[in-house]
Amino acid sequence: MLGVFMLFLFGFSLCQKCDALEKKELITVTDFRGKQLKLEKPATRIVCLIESALSGLYMLGEEGRVIGIPANIYQGEVFQYYAAMDRRIKDRKLPSPGNWDFVNIESVLALKPDLVIIWSDQTESIAALEERGLPVFGVFINRKEDVYKEIIALGMLTGNLKRAEELVDYTKTEIGRFQERIRSIPDAKRQSIYYMWAQGNLETSCGNSTVNDLIELSGGRNACAFMPDEHLVVNMENVIAWNPDLIVMWYNEKKNPSDIIKDPQWQTIHAVRTGRVHELPEIFLCDLWTLKFHFVVKMVAKWAYPELFKDIDLDKEKTTMLKKLYQNKLKEL
Amino acid sequence: MKLSFKEMVFYIIPLPLIVASLFVGPSNVVNARDIFDWLTRSLSLSPAPDAQNKQMVEAIVLGVRLPRVLLAFSIGSALTVSGNSFQALFRNPLVSPDILGLSSGAAFGAAIALAFPLLPLQPMAFVFGLLAVGLSYFLALTRKGVSTVSLILGGIIVSGIFTALLTMVQFLTDPFKLQTIVHWTMGNLHNASWSKVRSSVLPILFGIGWLFVLRWRMNVIALGDEETRAVGLNPEKEKLLILIPATFIASASVAVAGMIGMVGLAVPHMVRMMTGPDNTKTQPVSIAFGGTFLLIVDNFSRTITSFEIPIGIFTTLIGGPFFIYLLKKSLMVYREL
Amino acid sequence: MGISVKNLDFGYADRRVLHNISLQAAEGRFTVILGKNGSGKSTLIKLMAGLLPFRTGYIEVFGRDIRKLTSAERARLIGYLSQFHSPAFPFLVEEVVLTGRASYVFSLPGREDLRKTDEAIDKVGINHLRQRPYTELSGGERQLVMIARVLAQGPQMILLDEPLSHLDLANQARFLALVKNLVAKGLTVVAVLHDPNTAFFYGDDFLFMKDGFIIGPEKNKDPWDPSTLTEVYGTKIDAVPFRGRSLVIPI
Repeated sequence: MLGVFMLFLFGFSLCQKCDALEKKELITVTDFRGKQLKLEKPATRIVCLIESALSGLYMLGEEGRVIGIPANIYQGEVFQYYAAMDRRIKDRKLPSPGNWDFVNIESVLALKPDLVIIWSDQTESIAALEERGLPVFGVFINRKEDVYKEIIALGMLTGNLKRAEELVDYTKTEIGRFQERIRSIPDAKRQSIYYMWAQGNLETSCGNSTVNDLIELSGGRNACAFMPDEHLVVNMENVIAWNPDLIVMWYNEKKNPSDIIKDPQWQTIHAVRTGRVHELPEIFLCDLWTLKFHFVVKMVAKWAYPELFKDIDLDKEKTTMLKKLYQNKLKEL
Repeated sequence: MKLSFKEMVFYIIPLPLIVASLFVGPSNVVNARDIFDWLTRSLSLSPAPDAQNKQMVEAIVLGVRLPRVLLAFSIGSALTVSGNSFQALFRNPLVSPDILGLSSGAAFGAAIALAFPLLPLQPMAFVFGLLAVGLSYFLALTRKGVSTVSLILGGIIVSGIFTALLTMVQFLTDPFKLQTIVHWTMGNLHNASWSKVRSSVLPILFGIGWLFVLRWRMNVIALGDEETRAVGLNPEKEKLLILIPATFIASASVAVAGMIGMVGLAVPHMVRMMTGPDNTKTQPVSIAFGGTFLLIVDNFSRTITSFEIPIGIFTTLIGGPFFIYLLKKSLMVYREL
Repeated sequence: MGISVKNLDFGYADRRVLHNISLQAAEGRFTVILGKNGSGKSTLIKLMAGLLPFRTGYIEVFGRDIRKLTSAERARLIGYLSQFHSPAFPFLVEEVVLTGRASYVFSLPGREDLRKTDEAIDKVGINHLRQRPYTELSGGERQLVMIARVLAQGPQMILLDEPLSHLDLANQARFLALVKNLVAKGLTVVAVLHDPNTAFFYGDDFLFMKDGFIIGPEKNKDPWDPSTLTEVYGTKIDAVPFRGRSLVIPI
């Protein structure tokens, strides 16, 4: 009788240990909607429908877990980078069941994923996937802190938190390298910078945005910082009155800096008069929603304070960054 | 023809209004005093003490405000004249340039241009606006000519087709381009520049002039096809003579400023409520009042906020209540058709 | 000269409306066309007004081939008054009458056009209606306005399709008196009339139609001969002598 009781106790305690073991292995991550995801083990079949998150997975070295990518990887200039990093993409073998706008639910389900990464405002698609029991990680990037949060979360979801933390530290260090010099710039000499989206000359980002972070980290002042909106259309008169010292254009297929310099309405603006209108050269390298954004910070800092940062060699910075982030995968480029 | 007091008011207002509009703008930029100083200094040819400020005032008043004011006025006139002409042509106060698919066609043309950067925006919108109307006309054409009902049906079909195509383009582009397309369709004057004025004013003036010559003939057409034929005009020819310039100026307007609602439909009504249906009066008053209306609305929209809200929202929110007021006052009673 | 029609055939895809019509409407006289409903009268009048295209036959107006006239030339020779009008906009009576001048105007009506409009309004006696919206008038008043419009048009011949249909007795009399007056001054008038009695007491010459053919009047008989009319209307007609002519009544 006592023996049986002892057996029960033993079994019980073992099971408690089992529970503890399970609890230890349960991965808990909060996505950008505030929803908690609980995975028993790191995801091995990931459908990632966001290009910036996908590049993060490659940085983590966890691309082997990816079984579905966003459709736009196969179009445009980002294709060459991913093709160089991944044979499957080069051969166009990796399925692309969705994008920022549409998601083919059937195709996603057919891939039998154990994790789907998608924009958090694609609410209907998310609901359709979650209804069928799929863990969905919703993303929304507004500030640079969100970029860090995302990569850490991806690190946890793929069981490679160590590498994620490494990358975040690296990025923060890179940002920190020039902060001394930037802090030394007197207020009076701070360059006012106007950021121009590709949709229109008057489309910019103000207060709470990754653009604002970019501008401030490079030592400048956002020309329209006093307005809180992330993305808005401003009045031409205002731009003339703000009289920015530097204009930074997002990668633009239709226009070049020379088009702005020639535009009659922009002639009186300081940046135009001094020819300081620059365009970010590439989407992949300059993506403000990935850990590559420190490269853009350096680029803009150099444009804003050429003398102060003349020791920065952008080509060298680029090569170093690509090596550090993607290891040797982008060697050929 | 004698002018009533009301008409005189309409014709006198535009010029002073245009000048006054130059003094109006977002409050944290140049104020009226600056402009006044700049004006007096320029006229008296004395040296400006503050060169920097003078340059900025000039840049804003001449480079930003003046083209925008002129554009707003000319588009307001164009859309109103176009709407009035369409209503005369169709003998129906419920039609507007959009009825033949003009807006849907132009929006589709613009969407393609925005999605494929190599194509130029304004010409594409313009051409597709014309194409849509031409297609509607062609669909409605029979050996006997073009009846009003068949034109409207043709317009509905063409409108539907282009809207579907537009939706497809929107669906297939990236979110940034999509946003641009949507913004464009909402109507905007914030990108007004001298180049836009140059590209749109000539076709608009030409079209308005052409319709002005035909203004009395619109009265003849209003009574019916058979009645028109009886007094010696060919109704098919007359309809075409009105359709072409009316479409032209509406398309030119949409090409530079996107779709601005209400102006082509309700403003001609307002004009008719104030002058009666005689087109020798409605056409010139449409020019004056239509331009005045859009200019006032745009002045309002660009002063209340420092970021830009599509003007179509304002034309509807301001024009709507005014329209209701006139309707209620029953200055003109419309018979059931 | 007037108007002469020779061997006119007309029909639509499925049926023939007019068969080999030949007629002569003398200048300066009031010719009346009579017949049953559906005998082709309206179609004939429209063809004579140049409002319908035709292939077989020949129509000559004051010595000119109708098919060779431009719209404006035609309008200055022929005026046509149609049946009913329902316009979408409340134009004033004087604006409506003014539209009759369309064949003389390029862009804007001139002083001459305004004068002729005033004259026409006067002649028809509707001065009191000048500033009223056309859409607010009764059927009869509208008819008078359209008549004034035709007069403003100033053609040499007027074609009327049942012009008395909405008029009360007084207005009918007034209208017919006006027509007689104009004919006396040289206007050529061809009208389709509903009532044979009205026709016989006001008209000068008569034409009878049946099933798309012209069937009379016969040469040696009076137009108001009951046997002819019985043939035309397909119902027994009796005649009563009255003021040198006859009143006809269906029995």
